[in-house]
Amino acid sequence: MDIRKKLRDGLLIFDGAMGTMLQNSGLKLGELPEILNITSPETIVGIHSKYIDAGADVIITNTFGANEIKMSSSSYSVENIIESAVRNAKKAAMGKDVGIALDIGPIGELMEPMGTLSFETAYEIFKRQVIQGVKSGVDVILIETMTDLYEVKAAVLAAKENSNLPVFCTMSYEENGRTFTGCNIVSMVMVLQGLGVDALGVNCSLGPKELEPLIYEILNISKLPVMVQPNAGIPTIVNGRTTYNISPSDFAEYSSRFAERGVRILGGCCGTTDKHIEALVKAVDNRKPANWQHINLSGVCTPTRTVVIDGVKIIGERINPTGKKRFQEALRKQDIDFVLREAIGQVDAGADILDVNVGLPDIDEVKIMTKVIKEVQSIMDVPLQIDSTDPKVIESGLRIYNGKAIVNSVNGEDRILESILPIVKKYGAAVVGLTLDERGIPETAIERFSIAEKIVRRAIEFGIAREDIYIDCLTLTAAAQQKEVRETLKTISLVKERLDVKTVLGVSNVSFGLPNRELINNTFLAAAIYAGLDLPIINPMNEAMMETIRASRVLWNEDKGGVDYIKSFENNKTELIVPDKKTESEDLFKIINNGIKEEAKAATIKLLSQKEPLQIVNEYIIPALDLVGERYEKGYIFLPQLIRAAETVNSSFEIIKERLSAEACADISKGKIILATVKGDIHDIGKNIVKVLLENYNYEVLDLGRDIPKEIIIEEALKNDVKLIGLSALMTTTVKSMEDIIFALKETNKDFRVMVGGAVLNEEYAKMIKADYYAKDAKDAVSIARIVLG
Amino acid sequence: MDKNQYIKTEVLRYLGYKNQDIDDNTHSLIDGSIEEIKDLSEERYTYRFFDILDTAENVQLKDSNLKLPGHDIAKHLEKSNKCVLLAVSLGHRVDTRIRYYEKTSMTKALIMDACATAAIEDACDRICKKIENELVEGNDILTSRFSPGYGDLPLEIQKDFLTTLDAKKSIGLSASASSILIPRKSVTAIVGIVKKDEQIEKRSCESCSKYLDCSYRKGGLSCGH
Repeated sequence: MDIRKKLRDGLLIFDGAMGTMLQNSGLKLGELPEILNITSPETIVGIHSKYIDAGADVIITNTFGANEIKMSSSSYSVENIIESAVRNAKKAAMGKDVGIALDIGPIGELMEPMGTLSFETAYEIFKRQVIQGVKSGVDVILIETMTDLYEVKAAVLAAKENSNLPVFCTMSYEENGRTFTGCNIVSMVMVLQGLGVDALGVNCSLGPKELEPLIYEILNISKLPVMVQPNAGIPTIVNGRTTYNISPSDFAEYSSRFAERGVRILGGCCGTTDKHIEALVKAVDNRKPANWQHINLSGVCTPTRTVVIDGVKIIGERINPTGKKRFQEALRKQDIDFVLREAIGQVDAGADILDVNVGLPDIDEVKIMTKVIKEVQSIMDVPLQIDSTDPKVIESGLRIYNGKAIVNSVNGEDRILESILPIVKKYGAAVVGLTLDERGIPETAIERFSIAEKIVRRAIEFGIAREDIYIDCLTLTAAAQQKEVRETLKTISLVKERLDVKTVLGVSNVSFGLPNRELINNTFLAAAIYAGLDLPIINPMNEAMMETIRASRVLWNEDKGGVDYIKSFENNKTELIVPDKKTESEDLFKIINNGIKEEAKAATIKLLSQKEPLQIVNEYIIPALDLVGERYEKGYIFLPQLIRAAETVNSSFEIIKERLSAEACADISKGKIILATVKGDIHDIGKNIVKVLLENYNYEVLDLGRDIPKEIIIEEALKNDVKLIGLSALMTTTVKSMEDIIFALKETNKDFRVMVGGAVLNEEYAKMIKADYYAKDAKDAVSIARIVLG
Repeated sequence: MDKNQYIKTEVLRYLGYKNQDIDDNTHSLIDGSIEEIKDLSEERYTYRFFDILDTAENVQLKDSNLKLPGHDIAKHLEKSNKCVLLAVSLGHRVDTRIRYYEKTSMTKALIMDACATAAIEDACDRICKKIENELVEGNDILTSRFSPGYGDLPLEIQKDFLTTLDAKKSIGLSASASSILIPRKSVTAIVGIVKKDEQIEKRSCESCSKYLDCSYRKGGLSCGH
């Protein structure tokens, strides 16, 4: 069946539940329904036939959980199951004009960062299903009942890269309009539209009544045909059985209403039977498909946060090593925590989107870009702008990015447009186009405009929507090219008027070489917003720039009633930690002892004006640490107080390190230590506490993270010439991984020392797995480091 | 003791508190974190009653494929002929926020983690109370909760346990390849139903998976479970 043609011409009716029908025929709880494709094919064929008789256009194979993870507990392969399932469907459909959909449900394990399954592994799992589905001859791939947008992305890429079949995709929502993992409707639509599926929508979890508002929200913004497969109401458990209470006629009534509003693909999920489908078919019989009105949203997102560009939105510029020694050093040492602090600071200051640039000549930009994106996305939901000129970096970044990103940037050069635009299209990103080409930046507005026009034309030719093209009219330096500054503003106006696309602009270059740069920047920013700038790229920590933007939002009637503007003047910033009492002498020693992290920076800066960095370490920090440690060991303070003192020390060190790196002084590091939570384990709070304390004593910690396989630990240990390796495990089951790693480390015949720690370990157990040291707590880990590294 | 005070006592216990002086900062951090966890929690649960078929060897449940191997669960259920399988989760937002604080303040992360642990235990207590109130036989009560990984009941049954409750679909709870529950602040447990007058055996330290390492036991105390 040509599903795409059928979808153009009319409504498509899918079948109802498989699981419900199987349970009615005696499936036990916990049994794998997919196995019945092989052990009881006649049951499956029977169910398909009932749905076909009821009038379904498309039947869904009994392969919801036919992935290698769920099938691993059975004696059948993914290929076996899918082949049999498709055969059963074909048998039922024989001689009839009925399409067959390959059903793909969630893997069942959660992906990073929530769980442990990597994007690449998820992709491979789905790929196996897709390849067999194509081989067995299905007509359409149905990815359904998804709750994690990242998993959806892996599945859609697997489907599109390994088949030419239509791909339909539905996710499952709760009544609050979020999936279990927090994904909202707008983000789902943005991402699926971008990835180029053929239809999108919702299924399962709720009945038609509860889904109704969500369906209309989708119709309002979706360019693609919308698919709906509700449950037969909300499940309730009666006498130990799950039951649903929407009757076939009610179900049909809702479905018919959805069709009137523009839903193109209808069917049922849990609790629906052939009776529901039969009623549905009757209710929409011979109905012409209705058109639906939708708006073209311009915006970017992560699963839980959508940034719609309907006014000025701020792109934070600080994740960028250009001209920042400390940042460069952090990237070279893969000190991702440093980068993360830049991200957090900008979002706290009001950035809507963050630019991510990790371009340094001597680093592996692909590796660092993907790492930074993953790490930022594991703790925050701010959308990102991937800033690189290298197509490989852009593609790797876009592939693992969770949501819809911006690519920064292309320009008017054909070579660049042709290499980058297809990537932007494939991953459904937005793109920034710079108004320059091989001849450089044109002097006049009209010349820059004509480059913009070319970029927009080419992007549209590549299938990128107009609302996803952002033009950067380029800021020039007033001190050097004074008369061209105005040309930038004129270009913005032209682009807005004639091309109807969004504009983006890095602002602060304009003031380079002039005194009171802030004044120039602000004046220019206000003028650019007046000319039509949507997305200023700025340092959001600069309060004056933020004020200008807040004021503009009022003047442009975006901040209705000036609510946000007024709120920004209310002093409602509550400090997380209120100092007990202001430390009188602002003495760093006391500040550390009292654990007042917020005051450590200022006190250190002050001290640095009088003393050498090393003097501060020896005269203030080390004695304070020793005292705190002693108080902890004697039971005067408990763990949170110890850690707070340790963090106070680290804030002070951040200032000292900045000074040292600015003066290109020798490192104060006492040696490198690797820390990792072993494969299979993701408990890492204990390991992170050890890290904080080790850093206090100036050990340079290479934190590999959690769930780390032995190969990576060995590779990093060899590469970085590390002597001490700390391993953490919290479960009896993962101590085995620890033992394997220790064995492999010893096999290298290098002089590695291994310390282990974690709730399930003790001295005896540590000896048994041949660890050199057992660290009972974080303080103990420091003592061990002193023995090994001095 | 009022509810908040009880939770705070629990939080302090998880943080290894043994009567040290607590400064005002730490107090306010803990109080704030208890509230923050309340706001972040998206408590969801599912449970189902099962008839117990056989407690001689492996515990088997009627109409289910789930096997509960080991002596300890058999002992736990020896006086029950019905039990409840329960799964409770606080949701992903708690996990994400704790990960966030691990980058900004380990002190806060540590305290939040303890507060979340206290919150999930509290949720389990409340839900068990509710289930108990719903028991048809007024004379029936619930035993304590017994989770995969306790005693000799293998942690590896976690996935089958979740499949039996269809927990991924109904409350978004799943397990990693190494059987760690995700979202992290979640509990699965088997609870027996017994007659009120039956003696309920208190779970002993010896059957606990943390037996060797427990700092409370080493100090001659009990964790209270």
